[in-house]
Amino acid sequence: MARARTGGQGEEAVTDRNTGVVEQTVRIGARPETVWRFWTDPERMREWWGATADLDPAPGGVCRVEMTHGAVMEGEFVELVPYERLVFTFGWEPHEGGPDVPPGSSRVEVTLVPDAGDTIMTLRHTGLPASDAGRHDEGWAEHLPDLVAAAGRAG
Amino acid sequence: MDEALRAVADPTRRAILRLVRDGERPAGEIAQQFPSMTRPAVSQHLRVLTDAGLIEVRPEGNKRLYRLRPEGFRDATEFLEEMWTDSLVRLKIAAEREEWPERARAAKGKKR
Repeated sequence: MARARTGGQGEEAVTDRNTGVVEQTVRIGARPETVWRFWTDPERMREWWGATADLDPAPGGVCRVEMTHGAVMEGEFVELVPYERLVFTFGWEPHEGGPDVPPGSSRVEVTLVPDAGDTIMTLRHTGLPASDAGRHDEGWAEHLPDLVAAAGRAG
Repeated sequence: MDEALRAVADPTRRAILRLVRDGERPAGEIAQQFPSMTRPAVSQHLRVLTDAGLIEVRPEGNKRLYRLRPEGFRDATEFLEEMWTDSLVRLKIAAEREEWPERARAAKGKKR
């Protein structure tokens, strides 16, 4: 069972393929206040994620990121606890030949924990296909546990 | 990979996945479950799911039998896993670069 994948610079990427939840933990040599800005400031978000970012970091505010290859991530901020925790919905805008998870169909939670001047950042992406966590979507909640079990058998 | 994500975004296709998850079903039987849809419309959904690797089909006599292809779902998760891994490493580098001058000064100060 693939449970852990570790990168070369102290970052850790863990995906439990039984549940389909993507969870990754990274140690960053910067304070949580700095890391936080890379999630809430469009200029800084462009440095690592998309070609353009439209962010209104408040509950219900837009979180829209256009990828370099043209796909657009359309989300909405759900929860913001400055420098500690940030939650937004994650979906793809309909796009010819591109990825298309409808907005609101999955959810990303980011937590920042200070550690000796660094930040331990954990990202959890739930509500994905093969995820048992998509309970905000009745369709998924209804059939996913079985699909996950089936995927486990196939592995 | 993107195809799998697009394929599961549709409620009819999710209903089809539920129908075929426990075993093979002929196309005709699947179509009967959607009386408000035309056969070609159902066939189109089956094609999207097949192209995305989420179901597979085999002929038997004059029937086409569909069943779930569970490994297709793991692919979908792996795609997003990779996207996050690549992106978060870039975030780490960018954030560390922002504090680098200040940390370099602090380190220098300690040495003295």
